[in-house]
Amino acid sequence: MSLLKAEDITVSQGGTPILHPVSLHLEPGEPLVILGETGSGKSLLAQAIMGTLPRDLTARGRVALGDHLLDAARPGGFRPLWGRQIAVLPQEPWLSLDPLMRAERQVTEAHHLVRGLGAAEAQAQAASDLNHLGLTGAGQRYPHELSGGMAQRVAIAAARAGGARIVIADEPTKGLDAARRDEVADLLLAELARGGGLLVITHDLALARRIGGQMIVLREGRVVEAGATASVMSAPTQAYTRDLIAADPENWAPRKPAAAGLPILTATGLAAERGGTRLFSDLSFDLTEGRILGITGPSGCGKSTLGDVVLGLTGASAGRVEKAAGLTATAFQKLYQDPVAAFPRHQTLGRTLADVARRHGQPETRIDTLMPRLGLAPALLTRRPGAVSGGELQRLALLRLLLVRPKVIFADEPTSRLDPITQKQVIDLLCETATAEGCAIMLVSHDPALVARTADHVLSLGPAAANADVTAPRVVGALQ
Amino acid sequence: MNTLMTRAIQALMVAVLIGAATFAMMRALPGDAAYRIAAGRYGYDNVDTAAADAVRDELGLGGPALPAFLGWLGDLLRLDFGTSLVTGQPVIEEIGHQLGASMALAGVAVLLSLILGPPLGILAGLRPGGVLDRVLLVVSTGLKAVPQFLMALILILILSVQFRLLPAAGHGEARHFILPALALALGLAAVNARIARDAMARIGAMPFYSFAQWMGLSPRQTLWRHGLRNVSVPLLTYLGLQFVTLVEGVVVVEAVFGWPGIGHALVHAIFSRDVPMVQGTALCLGLSFVLINTLIDLVTQRIDPRRAA
Amino acid sequence: MTDVVMIPRPAGHATRCTGGVLVAAVLIFSLIGPLAVPGDPFAQSLMKALSGAEPGAPLGYDHLGRSIFHRLAHALRLSPAIAIAAVLTAGLGGLVLGTWAAARGGWTDRILTTLADALLALPGLLLVLIVLAIVPGTALGFWAGLSLVLWVEFFRLSRAATHEVLASPAVQATRLLGFGPTYVFRTHIWPEIAPMMLTAAAFGTATAIMVIAALGFVHVGMRAPTPELGLMMVELLPYWREAPMALLSPVIATFALLLGLTLLAGSRET
Repeated sequence: MSLLKAEDITVSQGGTPILHPVSLHLEPGEPLVILGETGSGKSLLAQAIMGTLPRDLTARGRVALGDHLLDAARPGGFRPLWGRQIAVLPQEPWLSLDPLMRAERQVTEAHHLVRGLGAAEAQAQAASDLNHLGLTGAGQRYPHELSGGMAQRVAIAAARAGGARIVIADEPTKGLDAARRDEVADLLLAELARGGGLLVITHDLALARRIGGQMIVLREGRVVEAGATASVMSAPTQAYTRDLIAADPENWAPRKPAAAGLPILTATGLAAERGGTRLFSDLSFDLTEGRILGITGPSGCGKSTLGDVVLGLTGASAGRVEKAAGLTATAFQKLYQDPVAAFPRHQTLGRTLADVARRHGQPETRIDTLMPRLGLAPALLTRRPGAVSGGELQRLALLRLLLVRPKVIFADEPTSRLDPITQKQVIDLLCETATAEGCAIMLVSHDPALVARTADHVLSLGPAAANADVTAPRVVGALQ
Repeated sequence: MNTLMTRAIQALMVAVLIGAATFAMMRALPGDAAYRIAAGRYGYDNVDTAAADAVRDELGLGGPALPAFLGWLGDLLRLDFGTSLVTGQPVIEEIGHQLGASMALAGVAVLLSLILGPPLGILAGLRPGGVLDRVLLVVSTGLKAVPQFLMALILILILSVQFRLLPAAGHGEARHFILPALALALGLAAVNARIARDAMARIGAMPFYSFAQWMGLSPRQTLWRHGLRNVSVPLLTYLGLQFVTLVEGVVVVEAVFGWPGIGHALVHAIFSRDVPMVQGTALCLGLSFVLINTLIDLVTQRIDPRRAA
Repeated sequence: MTDVVMIPRPAGHATRCTGGVLVAAVLIFSLIGPLAVPGDPFAQSLMKALSGAEPGAPLGYDHLGRSIFHRLAHALRLSPAIAIAAVLTAGLGGLVLGTWAAARGGWTDRILTTLADALLALPGLLLVLIVLAIVPGTALGFWAGLSLVLWVEFFRLSRAATHEVLASPAVQATRLLGFGPTYVFRTHIWPEIAPMMLTAAAFGTATAIMVIAALGFVHVGMRAPTPELGLMMVELLPYWREAPMALLSPVIATFALLLGLTLLAGSRET
């Protein structure tokens, strides 16, 4: 018997359908992955099944949960099942724990109030849960004293404490690096192994592959394809699914290595620290025209700080950066992770770009020539940064840099907030830029596959603490 | 520790500012300040040039401005406020008498505002845009636009003059508290309620608040265990800042109702240019602000450990 | 992503309009009223004390037989004029010092912040009272005292906003692209600060008017026979039973003006 069966779930906003009928069922021991890009309706589907849709959205359809039959149009009926039948894992675990309550108490309270254990028993159970998840001794900490991974495990313990057999995880790997992503996948699978059901909503193909089981692919509120995850991923039948899978960095064709151009910058023996912690030391590399230097490493290892040093925004605590003669200060530019935050938010994009062109003595027609080259519609220029999609805005950010004719572009996770297909477009454009404009690009990414298939050289930084002991040069050499 | 240090510096700056302001006030007094002070101390009949000179030397008022100012500040920092120019009593004793009456009035007003404001604000914040929220918005906006003296006037007209329910002036009995305390409390409650409402609406929209319910807690359990604790931090912080509004209200309301407190005394002291009294009361009020906010800092840091960092 | 362009409408647009209309109505009354019905706010005629409305005095007469209409119009020019002068001084001073402190950092920032924090601990009413006792001339004293009290809020707002904006990637990007401080101020800092300044200015004006009226009401502000809102109320209070409208006129006008300014300010970010 299915743990959960949802039939003809739809979601509409003010009469306009935004999710077309979807049916699904969840079997014990077999995970279900709902894959889709931003705006595909994947989170709405999950929220409709849990009865947690925002007030202005209405759902229709039937949900059978064990022997409970529920009407998706009446979300009130779902509330008694939260924590007891369905456990919901939050998107951002740090924000999902009460910042003013110690970790263990948050788990204890679920055992006590939801599952109904006595106070002492609940506390003992919470402590043992945390031990199981490798959090021994962390229970007395407040959420801000936990790492993201620890917070995630506390949230899992709290969500499961009520005894729910079905786990629904909405984008559980949002903003995590590769190592942490696999860790979360393993945790979820471990929960599944205890005989429950697992529903994972994600845009992350690597996570989907690791979770396995069954898969539903959504696009613009409609089911595109459904089937066993392994077969969908290896032999997609629909064009959209093929594009989506082809856009996964794992499946990219490696970029042809660029011929070495003129040297632009040589860094020797760089070291940096933050708040007394050594981030990296004895780092040496060259930047040459037309080449891409990939930089990988876990969060907090000093990738952005390295960028600041190269861009001249901060000084290194040791080492030298030698720049080729005749380069102006504006030859060094940066592409930001969140393009919305990188534009003045109160003026139109056209105005911002025109200001940059004027500042650098470029004719405004150059903007018009660059727009189609980057696949951008002229109408975008009349908008403000907040009213443009992430992919378009990142391309506009690239355009803004090109107006300055940069020699070095430090691209700091430029695609980590973009959907896979958009990510591929932006990275392709970045590669073209390196060749066409003859500039060196430092490409930071937490995705080793992306870097491996794009960069001419790779610089991989270890975790900040480990760096303290490592003194050997860290250039990992050309890839081919 | 850092908090205490910052607050100590603030207290010192407050003392210096008040010292500077009252020193300027003293220098700007019409006539010879020393003569007036001597007169205040010994009575007008007993003042002669010698007594005035003695006072001038003592206060360092005679010489150039800078040493005089430093002498003035020195007295202030030693908490030597001198004697009132009007009554001849030591300032510190006068303040001691009046402080109790003011604190009683302020205490009742704050208590009343806390009973009225935050609970309504939290209820409204649980359903932003709901009926209660909209009604509360209208009422609190209206109340905020009524200054305390006007509120006092309106209350006197309605409850005292028109319906003769309560005495408009007087002191000593419980019923004397009602009008002045209400005049203070309504304005405070209006603002408290807005702060609580905004904090509750913000916290209610946070992921952890939803997550607590997804975990299986009922709305009531979520409110009691997670909502109130989180709302209390901005609310307490705000209450500390509101102390200034409270003091301003106390000054005006005491003057209106003839309440024998520190605010009433301050208005009198200003009126009669009794500089030592002004200095004493101002310092007392300024330092109380710092003290109360220090206590609130310590309490909020206990509730929210992130603040201690 | 949809292609719908979202035009953000400031929340409470209607509220702000209502506030603007209220303030405008009060100001128009004070500016145009005496032109439409000429009269002298100081002329006494004890025969007419507390008598009702007539064409030359549409709101009747006070206890000394002075036209309440003209006294009110005069009062409604006086306090807003002082308040606006003080807010302009305080706003400009606070803005300059706030952005300067945030941009310079270090000791400049520390000293100014400490000073502002200390002023924050003192009731504004008290500072105004002390300044009134120092500065000759009540109107000048109010202007100086209120400026001294009000600049702190402008300082804190502009300092905090500038601080945040300067640390943002947007400003870093703009600087990397070769722009100087003037451009950064014009495109990044000012657009963030301007709406806050407007809100703070409306609140500041309301505060100033409240202070002037409150001190007038307890006899330590403007002196008789100057027509001032608080003073008018306290003068007319004893005659409530004989002439309720005489007292209600300044009460209603004050409330309308303050309510208008509060609505105009919109909700303050806390």
